Amino acid sequence: MKSDERAHDSVPTDDATGLPGLRSWGAVYLAVLIVLVVWIGLLTALTRLYS
Amino acid sequence: MNALDYIVLAGTMLGIAGYGIWRTRGRRDLNAYLKGAGKTPWLVIGLSVMATQASAITFMSTPGQGYADGLGFVQFYFGVPLAMVIIAAFFLPIYRRLNVYTAYEFLGRRFDGKTRLLGAALFLLQRGLGAGITIYAPAIILSTVFGWRLDVTIVLSGLVVVIYTASGGSEAVSLTQKYQMAVIFAGMVTAFVVLLVKLPANLSLTDALTIAGGFHKMKAVDFSVDVHRRYTLWSGLLGGLFIQLSYSGTDQSQVQRYISGTSLRESRLGLMFNALCKIPMQFFILLLGVAVFVFYQFAPPPIVFDQAAWSRQVERNPVQLHALEADFAALHERKSLLIRQWLDARHAGDAQGEEHARAAAQDVQEKADALRDQALKAAGAHATGNDNDYVFITFILKYLPHGVIGLLIAAFFGAALSSKAAELNALGSTTTVDLYLHVVKRQATDAHSVAASRWFTVLWGLVAIAFALFANLSENLIQAVNILGSIFYGVMLGLFLAAFFLKWIGGTAIFWAALAAQTLVFVLYFSFNISYLWLTPIGCGACLLLSMAVQAAVQS
Repeated sequence: MKSDERAHDSVPTDDATGLPGLRSWGAVYLAVLIVLVVWIGLLTALTRLYS
Repeated sequence: MNALDYIVLAGTMLGIAGYGIWRTRGRRDLNAYLKGAGKTPWLVIGLSVMATQASAITFMSTPGQGYADGLGFVQFYFGVPLAMVIIAAFFLPIYRRLNVYTAYEFLGRRFDGKTRLLGAALFLLQRGLGAGITIYAPAIILSTVFGWRLDVTIVLSGLVVVIYTASGGSEAVSLTQKYQMAVIFAGMVTAFVVLLVKLPANLSLTDALTIAGGFHKMKAVDFSVDVHRRYTLWSGLLGGLFIQLSYSGTDQSQVQRYISGTSLRESRLGLMFNALCKIPMQFFILLLGVAVFVFYQFAPPPIVFDQAAWSRQVERNPVQLHALEADFAALHERKSLLIRQWLDARHAGDAQGEEHARAAAQDVQEKADALRDQALKAAGAHATGNDNDYVFITFILKYLPHGVIGLLIAAFFGAALSSKAAELNALGSTTTVDLYLHVVKRQATDAHSVAASRWFTVLWGLVAIAFALFANLSENLIQAVNILGSIFYGVMLGLFLAAFFLKWIGGTAIFWAALAAQTLVFVLYFSFNISYLWLTPIGCGACLLLSMAVQAAVQS
């Protein structure tokens, strides 16, 4: 088996995310990081409220 | 367990494994066997990545963590979204462009053959031991609770996963993981609902959280900068980022799951799915443990959850240990009364009465904890380290209805099989592609390569079963797996970060730097008392710095 002989059908042809409102991958990554910050904020609030 | 539970358990497990074998029968093409022919959609990738990460240990041991230490363990997962973004942006496009079967094949292309072998060897060593723990962990608990023979449980559960993983390859693993995750989610949600229903009728959700908070179970985020504390916001973000980046970005059991996507887009979306779902999922499982803690403030808990170990000791020393149990039960009664007074005062707006009852309840809890420690010591060393692993399964067996018990045990087995299958699949693939086809037989046909991969999968399955038969762990199981990973992952990540971002570093420099950094991590782990989460950044940093120094020395 040689690596060069493998089919290259999986090489990406476009960078579209296919997600409504998040057209670039940069926007998707930013949204994920915002969700992380929101999670930490909510968990901090939970800690302050009940500890 | 009764007949209904066994029917649910056997039907679920054999149905899923049989489906995987049937759907992937007769695979002879290496690309299909190792990467599912690149046809996996994003949801299957996302579920598959999560299922690989979430072993049976996650679902047995994590509620026990929540019961004993509260929500703080969730911080370990804060690094996951950061790691997923970095992998999707930088690692994944390169893996797909080079069309590699394993992550270590990339190291060979970037550096040289010996660095590829070193990366593969570190993975095989770490993951081979880890596979043993993932077989041993659920087997020890299930055999203890049900009275099954431990060796038979290990061998049977190990053989089931070896058969369908070796026969169906990567595609069978991904296909079955989708259904295993469905069973796991169904089981955990059902357990949570039943738990809420079984709490006292007049106890509101706020009351339950107040009780949990009063016993320090609601501290989800800790801003402390003390490096001796295992779980803080900073160790979670930084240490968690490094360990997740190395696990998800360089561990073949993970890489194999997401390089199989139909396109780069599908693979990226699968990773983003994991980035979004991981923290809520772990939070939910820990909250389940906290809810079990609140439940046991009103229902009498056993003094030791590993009842088999406890019963053996009671037979030997009945007078003293029954007295210990009676004292523990009396403290529980007293604490329940104080908690009710605490809540009544809270509802009446009596701040002073609330504080007084709360402090008294905490004082009784401390006395009960001291008695429990005494009982754990009496129950023997084996139970001392990991009694929390028995908390959730003891609750399930005592308080959940039949049928649901079968579903929950199926969820544990499903999680065990899904993570084991991915590990064995990755071990077989790496041994085939990076050792056998790279060193021994360079010109092999696809049929020969698939056959070799099947046999290596079987071989690693047998090694893992043998390791599990001789394992004896003192740590809480979920932590044992993470500690093992943190020892090896830093250097592995250093190898890959140098490959991706330090273009001027050559193969010889990184090879010797990696060996030296791994030695340093071993010395630090065995000689100093620092949180294991820091071992990964230290190993990674040492590998990168030493590689730069060696490269500079070589060039000069």
